[in-house]
Amino acid sequence: MKRTRATLAVLASFGFLLALAVQPSAQQLKAPDDIKTTLRLLVQVSNDFKRQITNKNFARVPHEFMEYTEAADALRSAMKGESADLRAKTETRLKTAVAAYQKVSDMSAKETDVDKLMAEHAKAVTAMNAVFDLFPAALRPDPNLPPPGRGGRRG
Amino acid sequence: MHAHLHSPVRPSRRTLLAGCLAVPLAVIQCTRRQQPEQRVVDLSIESDGDFLAFRPDELTCPGGAFVTLTFHHRGKFLSARHNWVLVYPGQLEAVDKAVEHNEGIIPGDDPRVIAWTPMCDKGSMAMTKFIAPGPGDYPFFCSTPGHGECMQGVLHVTGPAEAGFHRIGGVRLQADHRSIQKGFNI
Repeated sequence: MKRTRATLAVLASFGFLLALAVQPSAQQLKAPDDIKTTLRLLVQVSNDFKRQITNKNFARVPHEFMEYTEAADALRSAMKGESADLRAKTETRLKTAVAAYQKVSDMSAKETDVDKLMAEHAKAVTAMNAVFDLFPAALRPDPNLPPPGRGGRRG
Repeated sequence: MHAHLHSPVRPSRRTLLAGCLAVPLAVIQCTRRQQPEQRVVDLSIESDGDFLAFRPDELTCPGGAFVTLTFHHRGKFLSARHNWVLVYPGQLEAVDKAVEHNEGIIPGDDPRVIAWTPMCDKGSMAMTKFIAPGPGDYPFFCSTPGHGECMQGVLHVTGPAEAGFHRIGGVRLQADHRSIQKGFNI
C-alpha cells in the first residue's frame, strides 16, 4: 500500500514538473502583452454572453458570438511569433472553445430558458479555460477581477 | 434782452446728445458686468481599447459651460460599437433598458438624456456639443446593449450655475440642457 502511494506521488510530481516544462514562461513568449490582452478580450465577450442571456436579450447573443470569433482571431494574430507547438495546441483548444460558444449562440435562436442557456455557457467557459491553461499564470485573466469599467468596479 | 435769451447755462446740442447716450451706455455696461463670459470647455474621452471602459471615467466642467465633447473608439479587434451618453442622475439604468432592443440608439426626444454622441465603429470618433447643467454629478455610459453595466463614468459639474437659465454669446437661453447640436461622427 505504502509502495503504491509512493509510486503515485512520484508519478504526480513528475507529471507536475512535465506540465511546468511544457508551459512556456511569460519571458519565453514573443508578445506576452498582446496575448494577455486578447485572453482578457475572450473573457470579456464570454461575460457579455452571460449578460445578454441573463437579461433575456437573446437577439444579441449571435452578435456576441461574432465578437468571440473576433477575439479568437486576435489571439491567433498575437501568437504569430510563438512556437509552432504552442500555436498548434492553442488552435486545437481555441477551436473547441469557439465551437462551444457557437452552440450557445445557435441555441439562443430557439431556447428561451435562461438556465439551459447558462448551463451551455458554463460548458463553453470550461472550454475557454482549457485555452488559458496553455499560458503562464501571469497572462491568464484573473477570474476574481471585476469586469473593466467603472460600473464593473462598483459590482 | 437778446443776450439774455442766449444764456451760457443752456446746454449745447452736443451736450444733450452725450447726455442721451450716457444713460443707455451705462445700463449696458452694468448688465455686462452682471453677465460673466460663457465658459467654453473642450472634453475628450475614449474607450479603453476594446474593453468595456471609458478612459478617463471621470470628467469635470463648470456649470453652464458650453461643452464640446469628443469621443474616440480606440478598439482594434472587436466589431462592438460604442458611444457616449450623458443622463440626469438616477436615469442611467432606465435609459439603458429603454434602448436595449433598439441597438442602443438614443432617440432625440428623451428628456432623461442631456447629451449623446452617435455610435462609433472601432477607430472612429464622434462629437457632441451641449450646455453643462447645474452643479452635481451626472452619469454617462455607452448605450450599446450590455455595455452600460460596465462602461460608465461620471461628469462632475462644478460651480454655481444661474438657476433655470444659461447664456451663450451674451444671449440668454432658457435652460434646456439637451444637446444643442445633435451629436455627429467625425
